[in-house]
Amino acid sequence: MDTLVKTLRATLRPEQVISDPEELLVFECDGLTHYRHRPRAVVFPASTEEAAEVMRLLSREGVAVVPRGAGTGLSGGALALGGGVCVSTARMRRVLKVDAGNRLAVVEAGVVNAHVSRAVARHGLYYVPDPSSQTTCTVGGNVGENAGGIHCLKYGTTTDHVLGARVVLSDGRVVDLGGAGAEAPGYDLLGVFVGSEGTFGVVTEVTVRLTPVAPSVRTLLADFTNIDDASRAVSAVIAEGITPAGLEMVDGATIRAVEASVFAAGMPLDAEAALLVELDGLEAGMDEEVERVRAVCRRNGARGVRLAADESERKRLWAARKGAFGAMGRITPDILIQDAVVPRSRLPEVLAETYRVGARYRLRVANVFHAGDGNLHPLVCFDSRDADEVRRVHEAGREIMETCVRAGGTITGEHGVGLDKSEYLPLVFSEEDMRAMLQVRAAFDPSGLCNPGKVIPVLKGCGEARAVAEAKAAAAPAGRHVTEDGGRRVEPSTKASPVAVTAATSGGGDGGRARRFEDFAEIVGGEHIGACGGGGAGFHGVRSVEPGSAEEVCEVLRVAERDRWAVFPVGAEAQRNAGSDDAHRDPVALKTTRMARLVEHEPADLVATAEAGMTLADFNREVGRAGQWLPLDPPGGGRATLGGLVATGAAGAQGLGYGAPRAHVLGMKVALAGGRVIRAGGRVVKNVAGYDLCKLFTGSHGTLGVILEITFRLRPRPRREATLVARSKDWRGLLEAARSLALSQLMPVAVELLSPWRVWVNGPELSELWDEGSYFLFARFAGTEGAVEYQLARAEEVVAGGARGGRVARVEDDAEIWSGLAAARGHERDFVWRASVPPTALGGLLARLPETSRYATHTHWQAGAGDGRLRVFEGFPRSRPDLDHEKLTAGGFVGEMREAARDAGGSLVVERAMAGYRRGFDSWGLADSAALLMRRIKAQLDPNDTFAPGRFRLDTPGAV
Amino acid sequence: MPERTTQLAGALAAEERKLLACVHCGLCLEACPTYVHTGDENDSPRGRLYLMSAVGEGRLALDSRSFTRHIDRCLGCRACESACPAGVEYGQLLEAARSDIAAGGRRQGWTSRALRVALGGVWEHPARLRLAFALARLLRDSRLPHLLLASKLTRLLPTRAELALALLDASRAAEVKVEASGAAGPDGAGARGEAAPALLFEGCVTEGLFSRVNRATARELRANGCEASAPRGQVCCGALHAHAGDLEGARRLARRNINAFRDEAGAPVVTNAGGCGAMLASYAHLLAGDAEYAGRAREFGARVRDVSQQLAATGVRRAGAAGGTAVTYDASCHLLHGQRAQAEPLRVLGAAGGVRLVPLEGSDVCCGGAGVYNLLETELSARVLAEKLRHVRETGADVLATGNPGCHMQLGAGARLAGLKLRVVHPVELLDESYRRAGMYGESSRQ
Repeated sequence: MDTLVKTLRATLRPEQVISDPEELLVFECDGLTHYRHRPRAVVFPASTEEAAEVMRLLSREGVAVVPRGAGTGLSGGALALGGGVCVSTARMRRVLKVDAGNRLAVVEAGVVNAHVSRAVARHGLYYVPDPSSQTTCTVGGNVGENAGGIHCLKYGTTTDHVLGARVVLSDGRVVDLGGAGAEAPGYDLLGVFVGSEGTFGVVTEVTVRLTPVAPSVRTLLADFTNIDDASRAVSAVIAEGITPAGLEMVDGATIRAVEASVFAAGMPLDAEAALLVELDGLEAGMDEEVERVRAVCRRNGARGVRLAADESERKRLWAARKGAFGAMGRITPDILIQDAVVPRSRLPEVLAETYRVGARYRLRVANVFHAGDGNLHPLVCFDSRDADEVRRVHEAGREIMETCVRAGGTITGEHGVGLDKSEYLPLVFSEEDMRAMLQVRAAFDPSGLCNPGKVIPVLKGCGEARAVAEAKAAAAPAGRHVTEDGGRRVEPSTKASPVAVTAATSGGGDGGRARRFEDFAEIVGGEHIGACGGGGAGFHGVRSVEPGSAEEVCEVLRVAERDRWAVFPVGAEAQRNAGSDDAHRDPVALKTTRMARLVEHEPADLVATAEAGMTLADFNREVGRAGQWLPLDPPGGGRATLGGLVATGAAGAQGLGYGAPRAHVLGMKVALAGGRVIRAGGRVVKNVAGYDLCKLFTGSHGTLGVILEITFRLRPRPRREATLVARSKDWRGLLEAARSLALSQLMPVAVELLSPWRVWVNGPELSELWDEGSYFLFARFAGTEGAVEYQLARAEEVVAGGARGGRVARVEDDAEIWSGLAAARGHERDFVWRASVPPTALGGLLARLPETSRYATHTHWQAGAGDGRLRVFEGFPRSRPDLDHEKLTAGGFVGEMREAARDAGGSLVVERAMAGYRRGFDSWGLADSAALLMRRIKAQLDPNDTFAPGRFRLDTPGAV
Repeated sequence: MPERTTQLAGALAAEERKLLACVHCGLCLEACPTYVHTGDENDSPRGRLYLMSAVGEGRLALDSRSFTRHIDRCLGCRACESACPAGVEYGQLLEAARSDIAAGGRRQGWTSRALRVALGGVWEHPARLRLAFALARLLRDSRLPHLLLASKLTRLLPTRAELALALLDASRAAEVKVEASGAAGPDGAGARGEAAPALLFEGCVTEGLFSRVNRATARELRANGCEASAPRGQVCCGALHAHAGDLEGARRLARRNINAFRDEAGAPVVTNAGGCGAMLASYAHLLAGDAEYAGRAREFGARVRDVSQQLAATGVRRAGAAGGTAVTYDASCHLLHGQRAQAEPLRVLGAAGGVRLVPLEGSDVCCGGAGVYNLLETELSARVLAEKLRHVRETGADVLATGNPGCHMQLGAGARLAGLKLRVVHPVELLDESYRRAGMYGESSRQ
């Protein structure tokens, strides 16, 4: 027995370590059998602490680590290369907490996906992601792979259903990413961790978002004698403005295999394709929707459309779909299951090409896939005992991938890159893109010991090694030298990483070269330089540059890097917050407002790309012509630029129903320091190729780069929108009503509670309702005519109780209410902060607000009762600029509120403050572990601290 | 990519095609009680199949410790078969693997050796077997085990011995008084019209320790218009042999049963033990290579059905209203996964009057009995059993029904040792009691 194994056994209990080579055999592959790598040992920690012990030990010994859940992955991700040790979560199977009120659960990483839903079923809730292996695969594995499933079309993938994760980094440090609130301050570390395939660390605990079970579900089976017709029907359903919960295609070969298995569900054996369409939602309007789907299918050549008669038939149909992959085992010894995504509109041609490729290589190809997402799963049948066939399978697989990429797609939608796909990654990402990914990886895992050899291809040899080497060098005290300009500080600690480049000098750039603002004018033209306007804090008078193209941005960044300017990307200055960025060297504001083109809009795919400087209002006007929209209402409203709203990442009131900006970004083009341009994500709705760097830039507040272009997932405009308004003097009663609404089976897109004075909005109906001292509740409903009508009626009943003597009214023409709420900025001198807590903690925070009136002349607020957002505006008399500022700051009231928010599992961020307040106060309140990782990421991507230095206070470790 | 080779010898070699059907998707993992408890993929169906393949590829020795250990630790419940989309016939592969291991000659432990001696020397000889069971009954009915268990003196014994006593004691009939308005007896009057013939497979353990279940089965069949007779010359079904890897022994018994149950008219072969039923139904597979018997085995297998399936097929008669005693049902694995009898036993229970059915969480999961597994792999079996009892406790039921003698004893013994007050019965016992209460066995036979 080697000494490592001995130590492992001593660290855990002996039965938690497998090291007998014979017993390690079964761990040599996962759900994809044609790669085999036997691990050196498998360990089974039973807790986060044990996992951390193991990681500490392995990092000390320099041994690679591969996390493994149930080993159902289909990309070879859970294999240990080069004698690594496998850390299995199979014995971490406890559901730690179910919080039905806040619709979340905390589970250990080894809990089986389907068991989460089982554990919360009695609350009428479930966990949405449902990969085909959900009866076996683990939540931890799902997080690693950003698992999808059949219901992503409407509900999104794992990344949209995870609120927090406890992660053990390679050195054994335990960090919490995300939290129990809807929004965590700082970089979206959780977002970028999800889908990192075990290369960032080992996840041990996950806080998952739970979703109410839809009161009504219908599943239709449409069969076609021509597969092209079926593909066209897919696009036609979406074009109808219908968003099915699931929209799946099964081709003839698969139907016949499944029907011969235990999962037979009565699909017609002579069909060439079948579509499974699942609609869910309220009973009201459901039949109408079913008929629309039926009509669309018929119009597109469906031979028969069958509605599942009951729950058992429905379950049988889905079991057949989920068992399809395994069922193919009946007709072939081995299967290569491919995974690629194409724009939905390109399905017919790409599908046809998969069969053509199969025929060319004399291989049987079957298709069973998530048609609504354009997520193909070509199954290539072969016999691994036939070496020539194996070679042909490989070549055919590559051709299919290339076809998908040519059609504008990506190489994996949900199975991950792992070992299998890394050679395809260069089809979709440039060397620069991948280098950025490696840098982020090195930030999470400077040791390079986490699942080495996966995801990023064998530029890896050099690239992976290089980024890791750079990170190591940066982490070492001696590795960071004072540069010749003397402006850099030597980082004292190895833990705290290296960003901390607060150049104090203002006099000179490289080698004493004089900074000339005029250099920028030469790039963008004299008429495009200027100064920031007044009206906000911080930037007043800062000189600005307004490039007209990506090339000009890059040129500006090259100059800035050379001459050590501090660059602050800004859009429409709609949310110019501030957050502690006063102490910086010569600043220049890089305005994106001249880059405002709509680059591409493909209505059939519900996808559009635009330049970052385009305003939300302009964008929505353009895509609105096709009956589509980007359903966001960020602070600043329609005048916010796309780049700005993504960079700030904040959700508005309707984030409850539609999600925050992060949920809508599919891809982006970003200029990093020095003008290095990278692309992240892609143009398709499901994409797990490489790391999800879009998440990293979303909410990064311009500290990592300048967003140039963004690709969004759009939604069909709802047929009807209407708002229920309730008024009362008693906010508690209203909050109670709002909570009942949020917890009811209704599906409001926003449930907003407003203090008196917060209602500026005017409209014919509203002015009638206006009352000076009253609190207001606004609940918005959107959807089909019938569904909205039903919900308004039900909501009126619910709210009437809570409004207690107040008034309740409907507002049909409600657009102004919501745009007005989003656009409202308060007074320019207002102190503005926002908290994000689990919704049940909202009342506690609200109850404490009157205490601020001791300091402020007025306090108004706006609270999202459904998702626990609270935004507070506090005003101060102009005559007393000095008034008790410190009481509002860290040690004072806001500090106390921040503590309260944190105790509830949430966070508090100061959005806007007068320059005087900000000094010495931490607007963000990052957790130490988050700050550490952010600092490392910043050091990797912006090593000279060019972008928004000082923001997030990454230079002062531990600052609160 | 390593090549699969065909180096398999013996029984597994013959099953190689079935082995290839596994695409390693892993959907079986959570269906497997041993995997759920150990988290070790070696203890999962996919893992065991992988080990079998590795033996086939020559990467693992047939007599290696890890192979025998993990094949041994399989309960053989076949729950994985119900979860498998590729339709891998795991049970048959397991028997083949065990057969190869047995043929390879390396078996550890005296229990395994003793078992093999017993299976060959006793089970294949009806007279000796009857004697063995008579002795067991003598011991059981002396109530000595009962008293020893009650006195807790058995705590001094090795776990296995204590368990063995508890298992034996658990086969005792409960003292239940039935206010009969009709009388019990195999000669009770037929109920409706012409009686259709059926052949009753009595089963060695059932007839040896649960003869009351066989009698009740016959009475109920008659009350539902089916005249059951038990052919002479029938022997043990061979399940214990097959599960222990003695396929030849199983084949010998199978041939004798096929002969004994020969019937020109093709009368159904009715069993009331899930383990026996699944074994009888798989004779076709067992004797596929036997030129003389292959055809007859297929014909025989097609006639096999569980008593619940037989009763449900003709529409089992109800006796009295539902409600009353809280009864929960735990499925025998081989009844459920082997014979696919899922709803039928519940229908039988539903027909019994005075019963309020309470669903049991995880009723489709093995209880850990698995023939003699509880005596061979005591520790893992106990963990599986403890989980089962936890769910049983949650139901609050006073009575648990299950359709196989092994499960019956395992659950009875488990409840007993855990201090859980629980009456374990076969579903037909409850139906029988309610028929007696309702006077459905006819006036003619009133005692």
